[in-house]
Amino acid sequence: MAQTQKSRGTAVETGKALPAALLYRACDPAELPFDLAGQLEDAPGLIGQERAIEAIEFAIAMRRKGYNVFALGAPGTGKHSLVESLLQRRAATEPMPPDWCYVNNFTEPQKPVVLRLPPGRGKGLGEAMKRLIEELRAALPAAFERDEYRARRDVIDQEFKHRNEEAFGELQRQAEGKGIALLRTPMGLALAPKRDGKVLAPDLFEALPQAERERIQHEIAGVQGELEAVMQKIPQWEREHREAMRELDRETTGAAIALMMDELRAGYCDFPDVSHYLNAVEADIKENADDFLTPPQMPEGMPPGMPVPAALQEGLNEARFRRYQVNVIVDNGARQGAPVVYEDNPTHQTLVGRVEHLARFGALVTDFNLLTPGALHRANGGYLILDAQRLLAGNFGWASLKRALQAGEIRLESLEQLLSLASTVSLDPAPIPLEVKIVLLGAPSIYYLLSSLDDDFRELFKIAADFDDRVERSPETTLLYARLVASVMRREQLHPFDRGAVARVIERAARLAGDADRLTTGLRAIVDLMQEADALAAAAAKETVGATEVDAAIAAQFRRGDRIYRRLQEEIGRGTIRIETDGAEIGQVNGLAVMSLGGLAFGNPSRISARVRLGRGEVVDIEREVALGGPLHSKGVLILSGFLGGRFGRARPLSLNASLVFEQSYGGVDGDSASAAELFALLSALAEAPIEQRFAVTGSVDQLGRIQAIGGVNEKIEGFFDVCRLKGLNGRQGVIIPKSNVPHLMLRADVVAAAAAGRFAVYPIETVDEGLSLLTGLPAGEPDAEFNYPAGTLNARIAARLDGFAEKAAALARHAEPGARS
Amino acid sequence: MKEEIGRVVVPLDAAADDRAAIDTAARLAQRWHVPLHGVFVEDEELLGLAGLPFAVEVTRRGREKLTQRHVEAHLRAFADRARRELEAAAARHHAESSFAVVRGPLAAALRDRDFVVAGAATRPVGGHFRVRSRWWAGRAATRHPLFLAQRGWQTGGSVMTVLARPGREAARLLQLAAEIAGLGSRALKVLGAADLAAPDALAHWVAEILGEAAIELSTEPAPGEPRSLRRRAAELDCRLIVLAADAAGGLPEGVAELVEEAGCDLLVVGGAEAGE
Repeated sequence: MAQTQKSRGTAVETGKALPAALLYRACDPAELPFDLAGQLEDAPGLIGQERAIEAIEFAIAMRRKGYNVFALGAPGTGKHSLVESLLQRRAATEPMPPDWCYVNNFTEPQKPVVLRLPPGRGKGLGEAMKRLIEELRAALPAAFERDEYRARRDVIDQEFKHRNEEAFGELQRQAEGKGIALLRTPMGLALAPKRDGKVLAPDLFEALPQAERERIQHEIAGVQGELEAVMQKIPQWEREHREAMRELDRETTGAAIALMMDELRAGYCDFPDVSHYLNAVEADIKENADDFLTPPQMPEGMPPGMPVPAALQEGLNEARFRRYQVNVIVDNGARQGAPVVYEDNPTHQTLVGRVEHLARFGALVTDFNLLTPGALHRANGGYLILDAQRLLAGNFGWASLKRALQAGEIRLESLEQLLSLASTVSLDPAPIPLEVKIVLLGAPSIYYLLSSLDDDFRELFKIAADFDDRVERSPETTLLYARLVASVMRREQLHPFDRGAVARVIERAARLAGDADRLTTGLRAIVDLMQEADALAAAAAKETVGATEVDAAIAAQFRRGDRIYRRLQEEIGRGTIRIETDGAEIGQVNGLAVMSLGGLAFGNPSRISARVRLGRGEVVDIEREVALGGPLHSKGVLILSGFLGGRFGRARPLSLNASLVFEQSYGGVDGDSASAAELFALLSALAEAPIEQRFAVTGSVDQLGRIQAIGGVNEKIEGFFDVCRLKGLNGRQGVIIPKSNVPHLMLRADVVAAAAAGRFAVYPIETVDEGLSLLTGLPAGEPDAEFNYPAGTLNARIAARLDGFAEKAAALARHAEPGARS
Repeated sequence: MKEEIGRVVVPLDAAADDRAAIDTAARLAQRWHVPLHGVFVEDEELLGLAGLPFAVEVTRRGREKLTQRHVEAHLRAFADRARRELEAAAARHHAESSFAVVRGPLAAALRDRDFVVAGAATRPVGGHFRVRSRWWAGRAATRHPLFLAQRGWQTGGSVMTVLARPGREAARLLQLAAEIAGLGSRALKVLGAADLAAPDALAHWVAEILGEAAIELSTEPAPGEPRSLRRRAAELDCRLIVLAADAAGGLPEGVAELVEEAGCDLLVVGGAEAGE
């Protein structure tokens, strides 16, 4: 029985061809109160994302741990630009975060010290240190060249020399007096008996009388004892001499640098950490004044006297004074408000920074000057936007981000250290406290996966900003959409869009949403369309973009990607792929599938056939048997069994076997949008009632025989329309669709025109019986109280066929019983 | 002048720090296009001492028995190292080189036209105390120019010479000083002793001897006291002092201290056997 309802004020009668007005919802020009889009103001932001905006604003305001944001939504919905603009607006009102500097740790150089300074002061400290060292390179040599220093040094030297000479001189005199020579040996000194100024040869010594030999030995032993005592004192004297010299150097250095250091310290007296650092600098300069006084040490192996290239000299000097440099790792001096940073390659190193190395004389070396910041450093005190997919795919980016957020600090370490792969000593810089709001951008699937699989995620990203992919199409939203078009037009510097062009863009937004009553929020596709229409207008030397250019751009987009679609159409036309659009067949119906290739989706008709035979009540899905059917498709086929059992199994056993197949299908099949078509093919086979091939069917079915909505209805109708046009439109062809899909219709203009001219039709149905009657031209038939159907109806024919199967099955069973007579 | 030099000889021994001497000698050999010859002198006295039953060596670590085997092993090792350093320096400066080991006085290994370059200092035993280089004493027996090199070769700094009296020996001294100054900064400062002719006459005589040598020549009276001479050497940024030996072939009084304090090299020319 036909059901009548209204859609957009137009009657929708099931089983009857839809009026053309319901096949496409045009944009009413009355909704567009302008001639050119340039007359409109910019859109206030993204349309229909109030939920997401509220979530982000809440997260921004929540200054508590874990209130980071995951902005989820389909690609191209404008998440990034919206998030960034919201954050920028907020950040501009927030205070500038401090500067962070790494400086040398003079007691443990492998553990650089971190200094926090007000914005802009870090660079100032670095420059002040540079000036200090430059000044000291001139001032210290001058101090050490003064007569006063030289005189004091001479006194120390003389004291030491005097002590040495006194000791050795006395020894030498004592030895000389006893006829003993002091000789230099390879490692020290030795004492030898002398005669006539020469050392006594062994044979001459042996020739001496015994008493003389003993006397000489005795004398030598005595001097030897003295010599040993002196030699043992040498290290102590040397130490004392060195210490005296060092103390003099410290005093001289201290006096020379005191004024400069005091001036420097005065500028940072409010920062205890900096004062402490400057004290350490002063102590180090006092200990290492030699660096300022002597030329740098040449690399090992360099021959003495070889001229040193200027670049090497400069490099060696730079190397000596690197420890006094200031590595301003974050400089917020030129910033206004808090930072908003987007890191497009979020890996461990780009997030937490890296420890770089220099090749020096064949070895890789590093120090605190080679610590480079990561995105977390740059965003500290503000906001960091990251792409979730890249973060998860990146080199330990996700693990490092979680670690930093959980610890509330940025620990700058190499990946080798993080993974405990490095056995060499490397830098272990002091961590920097972290206060940042992270916004991850990603697809909903990533959000749901992280939510279910990563416990830390829920703790660290408490706020989900869910971006809708479509918005209701109303006069208000239509006008907002027009303003959005105007915004894009201005931002991208496009030709002015006239009212007709804007209307076409809005209609295209509805088609992209797959719903006449909704508009897509996927801005990327809309911007692409506008840019391409603009290019066409420019090529045609037009001053404005009109509906013609928008339509041409849409057609061109389809044409650029339709090679496979055209090939399929061509093969259908040649009969290689068999699709019938006329005549009638038992157990065969035209089903419709949607293929998505690249960015293009198109409808593809396919013959579905069914065969029935005596059996045990099984419906065999051939696609599933050969592992080409997906789970949703299999589910749809099993629902058919449920429908058959529910409608016909109450009065008789279902003693049939049925098989269903997508003919000439060589790839995977999934989804349940063909289940209604499969059921029609099966029922046609059971009733032995031919189905008119002028129809194609789409829709899913439930166990009660109700037809349910499916996706891609526009593409499917257009796909069958193209086949019919190819084979010849006869005015009787059409597509049967679920009635609940009628609001989704936004068909191509040529399809709408054909329907308006009565050359093609779209038929909405709500039940299996409505579809069956339409396809076969026979009444379906309503059951009476005992589930009997009126004679001549389709259901009566099906019931009779099933009764026949049941009787044959019973007869066969009786024959098969033991003792039965054949 | 350089035609008078047949070889540059470096005497080496176990006590001296010879790197600066070897490098300087190799440079001079290359500049004068003459062979470089290394002579490692084994200390006869030390070997003799090692033959005595009670011989010991006193080092910072304490007392060790000194045997001939021990001494000879050390001398071989020192000689081998000296040979390698000499060959490396010769290769570096593209000079022809030879090497010999002698036991006994150096003089026996020298030829008439040898120019001797020796290390100025021995390896220190303790602080400033040094057992003086044997070349000071050995020099007296030769009439060869002796260049005592204690610092790496430098192209900067001036060459300073002090002339005691005009004559053939002074002219030779002056020519050698000019020769070496010409290898570096080309600055030659000639200091005339107090008993020498008037300053103008000195300048005239020096100019006559050197002819048109491409050097920056200046003359002035020499300070009377060694201390003043040291100060003047420092003021002139002196890298080499060229002196005539005393009548006995030894060093003039105070020169050892001058060289040590000024930290510059020393060239001593002439001596008892050089004659006038």
